[in-house]
Amino acid sequence: MSKDFIQSAGLKLVILAVLFVALPLLLVSLDKGYIYQVVMLALIFSLLAVSLQLVTGIAGLLHLGHAAFYGVGAYIAALAGADYGIGFTLGLPLAGLGAAAIAFVVALPTMRLVSIYFAVATLGIGQMIFLVLQNWVEVTKGPNGVSLFSGIDLFGYTVDSELGIYFVVATIVCISIWVIHRLSHSYYGNALRSLREDDQCADAMGINTVRLKIESFMISSFFAGIAGALWAYTTGYISPVDFDFAESILILAMVVVGGLGSIPGAIIGALLLILLPEALRGVGDMRNIIVGFVLFFSILFLPKGLFGEVPALNFIRRQMGAAWQDNPDKQKVGWK
Amino acid sequence: MSAMLEVADVSRRFGGLMAVDGVTTSVGEGELVGLIGPNGAGKTTLFNLISGFTPVSSGEIRYRGEKISGLKPSVIASRGISRTFQNLRVFPNMTVFDNVSVGAVGAIGQSPWQAIRSGSKRAKEISERSWEALEKVQLTRYANELAANLAYGKRKYLEIGRALAMKPDLLVLDEPAAGLNDSETAELAAFIKELHAGGLTVMLVEHDMGLVMSICERIVVLASGRKIADAEPAVVRQTREVLEAYLGVDE
Repeated sequence: MSKDFIQSAGLKLVILAVLFVALPLLLVSLDKGYIYQVVMLALIFSLLAVSLQLVTGIAGLLHLGHAAFYGVGAYIAALAGADYGIGFTLGLPLAGLGAAAIAFVVALPTMRLVSIYFAVATLGIGQMIFLVLQNWVEVTKGPNGVSLFSGIDLFGYTVDSELGIYFVVATIVCISIWVIHRLSHSYYGNALRSLREDDQCADAMGINTVRLKIESFMISSFFAGIAGALWAYTTGYISPVDFDFAESILILAMVVVGGLGSIPGAIIGALLLILLPEALRGVGDMRNIIVGFVLFFSILFLPKGLFGEVPALNFIRRQMGAAWQDNPDKQKVGWK
Repeated sequence: MSAMLEVADVSRRFGGLMAVDGVTTSVGEGELVGLIGPNGAGKTTLFNLISGFTPVSSGEIRYRGEKISGLKPSVIASRGISRTFQNLRVFPNMTVFDNVSVGAVGAIGQSPWQAIRSGSKRAKEISERSWEALEKVQLTRYANELAANLAYGKRKYLEIGRALAMKPDLLVLDEPAAGLNDSETAELAAFIKELHAGGLTVMLVEHDMGLVMSICERIVVLASGRKIADAEPAVVRQTREVLEAYLGVDE
C-alpha cells in the first residue's frame, strides 16, 4: 500500500472516529438535551451549506431561496408522518425527491436567466414557497406549524433516544456530504465549474449547460429536502418561520464565509455560524453583534473564505487521495 | 476532395447591417483553410455562425452532409467541430489540467452517477485524454497552475489544448496570433502546421495576412460581409479586389 493511500484512509478514519466515537462519547458524558440540539443543528446546516455550495459556489448560480427547499423537505416529512403515518424510512427519500421535483419545475423556466436575474428569480421562488407554507392552512396547517411525535422509525425499529437519533442524523449527513463531495470533486464537478467561469465557452466545449444547471439545482434541492426531513424528525415540530428568507441568507453566509466553491469551506462556515452564537450565549444580546463582526472581518481579510476553493481542491486532491496520477510525471492532477 | 463543411449562401443580419452577406464556401477533409479580411469584414461572425453561437438569418451550413445551422453550440461541438476564441477565454479560476478536462468531459461525457463512483473507467479515459492534449501543447509542467497565472502566450496554447481534448475533426481557430510577437507567431504557425500534418482539418481566421499566407493551402477573403476571393495564397495575393479591400486602392 502506498503512503498516499494510508494518509488519505487515515484522514477519513479520523473524521469518522470523531463523528461516531468521540463526539457521541462527549455527548453522553455531558448528557444535556440542549447540546444534542446544537450538534444536530450543526450537522443539518453543514448539509444545507454543502448542498448550496454545489449550486452557488461550484456551478456559479446565486441561489437566494435554498431554505425554501429545506422547508419543502421538512413539510413533506412532517405531514407524511402526521397525516399518513409514513415513517422515517420512506419519509426521508420522499422529502428529498419532493424537493427535487419542485426544483425541476421551477428550474425549467429560470435556468436561462443569468447572474442577478437568476438570483432574483430564486428569491421569488423562495418567497412563494414560504407563503404557500404559511397560508395554505388546510394542508400545511399554516403559521401554527406541524407537530410530529413519531421519533425515527428505522425499518420497523423505533429510535427515540437522543444518542440513537444522533447516530442516524450523523450517518445520513455523512453519506449526503460524501455524495456531493464525489460530484464536486470529479470531472462532472469540473464541468459545473466551467459554467461558473464562462458558460458560453463551456457550451462551445460540448457541455450541455442548461441540463447541467438543472441537474445541479435538483441535486442541491434534493439534499436540502433531506436536511429538512432530518430537522423535522429531530425537533418534532416545524413552522414556516424556520424556512424564511433569513435562513436562505444564513446558509449563503456560511458558504461565502467558508469559501465559495469549497466543500470543506462550507462545512467550516456552517460550524462557525451555528456554534459561535451558541458559544456566545453567555454574553447576552451582544452575541449577534459579535457574530456580525466576525462575519464582517472574516470576509474583509479572507475574501476567498476561511478555506478557499484553491487550497480546498488541493487538499482534496493530495490529502484525500482524489487525484489522478497515472501520468508520466506522476503529477496529482484531475480526478480519479 | 469531399466537402467536410459546407457554407451555402449564408447571411447574417444585425439590424440594418449585413455582417455576412450570401457567403458560399466549403472546407474539405484534411484542408488547412484561412479566412481573412479587413476589420469588420464578418470573419468572426462567420465563425460564430459555424459554431452555432449566432443563428443564421438565411442560408444553410452543413457538416458531413448534415445541416448544423440551427443547432446548439454544444451539439455542434459534439459532432466534431471545436473552436477557440479571439479574446482568449480560458477558465481563469481552474487549473490548467482542469481547463483541458472540460473539453474532454464535453466530448466523452460524465453523468452524476458515473461521477459518484470512484475510479470509473470514464474518469480514467477523461484523465488520459486531458493529459494527452496537455502534452500536445506542452503545458504538462503547468498542470496544477491556475489558468489565470499563465503568461498570455501560454494561455493561447491552453485554449488550443482544451479544444484538442475534444478530439475534433475540424478545428476552428479565431485569430490565434492576436497579441503575439513575431517569434511567437512563427512558433504558433509551426504548431498549427504540425496539427494539420497529424490529420486535423483546420480553419483559421486571421486579421494579419502574414501567418495565413505562410501556412494555408487555400484562403477565403471576406470584405464587408461578402466573399471576394477563394483561392490559393499566390492567386489571392494577385487578386485586385483583395488588394483594394486591404489597401483601399481606388480604380
